[in-house]
Amino acid sequence: MAGKVGAMKKKTWLRAEVGASRAIACLVLLALWQAIALSGLFFQDVVPSIDRVLFAFWSVLADPLFYRNLGVTFGEMLVSLAVGCSTGLAAGLALGGSPFLSRAYEHFLHYLGSAPKIIFFPLMILWFGVGPGSKVGMGVISCFFPVAISVAAGMRAVNPVWIRVGRSFRASPLQMVTKVYLPAMRTPILNGFRLGVGVAIIGVLLAETKLSNQGLGFMVMQSYSRFDMPRMYALLIIVIAMAVAFNTLAMRLAGSKP
Amino acid sequence: MTVRGPAMLKIEAVSKRYGYGASAVTAVDNVSFDVAAGEFMSIIGPSGCGKSTLFHVIGGLTGADEGRVSVEDEPVTAPHPAIGMVFQEESTFPWRSVAANVAFPLEVQGVAKRERLERARRFIALVGLKGFENHMPGELSGGMRQRVSIARTLVSEPKILLMDEPFGALDEQTRLLLGEKVLEIQQELKQTTLLITHSITEAVQLSDRVMVMTFRPGRVKRFVEIDLPRPRTAEVMTSDRFGHYVAQIWGDLREEASRGMAAQEERVRTHPGV
Repeated sequence: MAGKVGAMKKKTWLRAEVGASRAIACLVLLALWQAIALSGLFFQDVVPSIDRVLFAFWSVLADPLFYRNLGVTFGEMLVSLAVGCSTGLAAGLALGGSPFLSRAYEHFLHYLGSAPKIIFFPLMILWFGVGPGSKVGMGVISCFFPVAISVAAGMRAVNPVWIRVGRSFRASPLQMVTKVYLPAMRTPILNGFRLGVGVAIIGVLLAETKLSNQGLGFMVMQSYSRFDMPRMYALLIIVIAMAVAFNTLAMRLAGSKP
Repeated sequence: MTVRGPAMLKIEAVSKRYGYGASAVTAVDNVSFDVAAGEFMSIIGPSGCGKSTLFHVIGGLTGADEGRVSVEDEPVTAPHPAIGMVFQEESTFPWRSVAANVAFPLEVQGVAKRERLERARRFIALVGLKGFENHMPGELSGGMRQRVSIARTLVSEPKILLMDEPFGALDEQTRLLLGEKVLEIQQELKQTTLLITHSITEAVQLSDRVMVMTFRPGRVKRFVEIDLPRPRTAEVMTSDRFGHYVAQIWGDLREEASRGMAAQEERVRTHPGV
């Protein structure tokens, strides 16, 4: 008992220490940043001072155009996740359920899945135009592969006795999928979605920075080409926060116990 | 000698091989027997005698190469509604509560939610798990989970209960207690039961008749009628006649088990590291 209390004490103590250490690291980094900005070591504005970044942050948040672009990126993300996860799930179920299909096609999934998706961007522009369509396309092809691969592997790992139980009670193929396979595969499916969300964000934003006329990535590149560095940094902070929020949400979903 | 009723389950000259050509292994060879309505029959044999293969063939999960399985003259070629299977492995669905696990077969049949939960509750009580309806399998012990599996199979009210070493993974005491529970249930439901086991005591404790199988290829070695009074109380189980049956079956089985052991040693010798 005494040992347990001691361990608990130590844990809270560690937590406080971790928090303090993080705060100190943040302050040190900010101070270093500010020092570099004021020193004039770099060309003017490459490292803008913190107050100017904060001011730019504020003016971005006050700009109605920002919300339109945020909406565009958000919409592209949602559509590419919906399409990428559902097609990935369907492909994964087909490959996991059929040894023949897996033997015939799964290799290609691994090869294409590990190729950098940005090389397909010209194709996406040709097929879906310079608007949101090509960004969604990039998001979808990024998201599809990790979901399909994870679902296919997860399906093969389903405990065979659960399958026999389902068959012995004469479940239909559809019932086997909805009542046995899908619940049994909850963890690999959610893991696939989590990986898919991460790469879909990369795909969409990367495409927006390459060629576009709206979206957060477009705003970042616009600030860059105008050499409005404070605004660019402010936008980067927002983009990173959005990516973190999406990832955290996906991880929460995947992490919760069945 | 008990008078047996008409045959409920008929196994006629069933054979099953695995593999092809020279490497083919005959798991079950020309096995025939009947199980009468209301009878409790056990199949006992050494590891590797094809018991589990026979279980899957009778359950309609695997096709036989030769021979025929039928329930009341209806051939079994796929899982049959009259046969309810209980598997050797841990088979409860961990994502479903005890009640939802037991209600699974009814859900598959499309029984309305209220009715299936009511029927599930009845069978949960029958296996002695009243009060655990809303627990998850992960919160239960191995013996409790196996009782959930048995309730799940009984809820579909199969004419024949087919069990493959349902207590194989449990300790001896839990086994004996669960055996008593199964007997109680069998008496209450007049359930035709076919139990596959490797425990001699379990076979004698529970059965009207025991079929002893040979080591590979699995053939019928002998039928032993267990002419002991029911209920099989502790008194019956400590009687001389009980001991006599155990000794008789062990006599038959010993030879087969030693052949199995020798074959295993031979395999290790000829394929080291496999």
